[in-house]
Amino acid sequence: MAGLAAAVEAAATGVLRVEKVRGRSAVTRCFAKYPLKLIAPSKVAPASCGAAWIYAITYGGGIVSGDRISCAVTVGDACTAAMTTQSSTKVYKAVDSKCSEQVLEARVGKDALLALIPDPVTCFSTARYHQKQVFHVFTDSNLVIVDWFTSGRYESGEKWKFSFYKSINHIILEDQPLFIDSVLLEESSNCSIADRMQGYNVVAMVVLLGPKLKHIQDQMQDEVKKMMSVQLRPPTSAGGRYTSRPQPLCPQMPPLIASCSPFGRMGTGMVARITAVSTESVYSFLRHHLAALESFLGASPYSAS
Amino acid sequence: MKVAQSIHLLSMECDYPASKKNKLTHPMDIDCTVKEEATDAGSTNQHFHWSQWQLLDSILPTGGFAHSYGLEAGMQSRMVNRPEDLGPFVVQVLENTGSLLLPFVYCASKSPDAATWVKLDQLLEATLTNEVSRKASMSQGSALLRVAASVFTEIQTLQDLRQTFLGSKNLSFHHAPIFGLICGLVGFDHETTQRAYMFITMRDVISAATRLNLIGPLAASVLQHQVAADAERMLQKWRDRGVEAATQTAPLLDALQGCHAYMFSRLFCS
Repeated sequence: MAGLAAAVEAAATGVLRVEKVRGRSAVTRCFAKYPLKLIAPSKVAPASCGAAWIYAITYGGGIVSGDRISCAVTVGDACTAAMTTQSSTKVYKAVDSKCSEQVLEARVGKDALLALIPDPVTCFSTARYHQKQVFHVFTDSNLVIVDWFTSGRYESGEKWKFSFYKSINHIILEDQPLFIDSVLLEESSNCSIADRMQGYNVVAMVVLLGPKLKHIQDQMQDEVKKMMSVQLRPPTSAGGRYTSRPQPLCPQMPPLIASCSPFGRMGTGMVARITAVSTESVYSFLRHHLAALESFLGASPYSAS
Repeated sequence: MKVAQSIHLLSMECDYPASKKNKLTHPMDIDCTVKEEATDAGSTNQHFHWSQWQLLDSILPTGGFAHSYGLEAGMQSRMVNRPEDLGPFVVQVLENTGSLLLPFVYCASKSPDAATWVKLDQLLEATLTNEVSRKASMSQGSALLRVAASVFTEIQTLQDLRQTFLGSKNLSFHHAPIFGLICGLVGFDHETTQRAYMFITMRDVISAATRLNLIGPLAASVLQHQVAADAERMLQKWRDRGVEAATQTAPLLDALQGCHAYMFSRLFCS
């Protein structure tokens, strides 16, 4: 196992290690080569907090067709680390159908917490993007994964114009698959991505795993249920197949749809799936539901400033 | 085609046509011969059809009628409003069935043994991250296994598997692997098994649509025939893949189906 981890590190574009130094989580290894840059500022969390914050930045603010960025992350026992981005990751148009790729392999130690809280991925027209994130955890490890993407530069009319988007997230608990997720959106001649996504522009997934996050999970589940139940109602008797004339008002879908599901035999994990019309509404959602992470991370994820 | 173990066939051989000219025949004069024809390809083929049709008939008590595959949530969120919206919805469900579940059906039908089944079931448990569809899969899978074990008493492997794993905590009894396993043991070829899985999914969504009053039964039948071409296309696109390639292709449907339990009044379980 140690040999494999070393091999992954040797081939990686970026290597990050967070370990306890004098009782606080500190970045003990931070290596990155082009096109990746890793920055570990010390001023994000207050000194009392003891969490390490790392920003992953790509030169030019985006990923070019054919680029492959791989990152190997290790969070030591009882350590706390947050990994984020400076802005949304742009994936530029595909050249010669080459895919842009990001790979992350993370090992989270016992009683440790890793929060992966990036900005969304935005694929430009004809872009091809593949992402794979694998997390190796123990039963008492804690993990926050936010994985999300938009339809493109939709304010300028670029909506679901990319060719290929695939995101894979695997959580492996002591060599057993705990959470295996893969989402694929590919342009096809039969049904466009835009048609499939109706009017929505954002797809997000939030994973919360581990004993430290139980209260955040419970609160999110309750609030999402309350929020959605008022928006879901059976079609009225005036609609349905007995209507012969067109309805004057087009029935509106909810601007943000969210649902939460527990996972894992012991129910220690929870995944929330969100689709929304605006990116701002999802930032708001994440800011609100992940606010309690401030006590662990020293700063609130997705804060408005 | 794999021949199901020890199937004994009783066949009534009617002499009538051949001897018409030579005998004074009475309509009731039938020469009955009881034969054991386990290796006769023609008769086995005919017997197999009865099992195949029974497995795909909606009357098989597997509880498929309790699931709408996200349609009810789709209607309550106004994604699906009129009969015209049903076709595209069904096609999306079929695409996602193909991309996510066909690999499990295929791999189970290729190796219908205990070790493969346990691995596939555990992997699907980790893959069905939507609790609504995960629970639906477990309830349909265990019902299907119970029915198949009761019906196909001649398939010893099936009896043994059910006995071994009954009450096991390590298995969730997910639908797709069990469906593939049973079809493999009954004698379906891999393509037919996967097509059958697409068929029952299509059948159940359209049936749910009629019970949700979205479409009438006649229009539903018309739609089913129209969608068949798309279903076949999905089958050819997503067939014969390994489970490591399983992926979902309908994130909006996934988010919506996950809301099923939030609906205050609902007809279906999923």
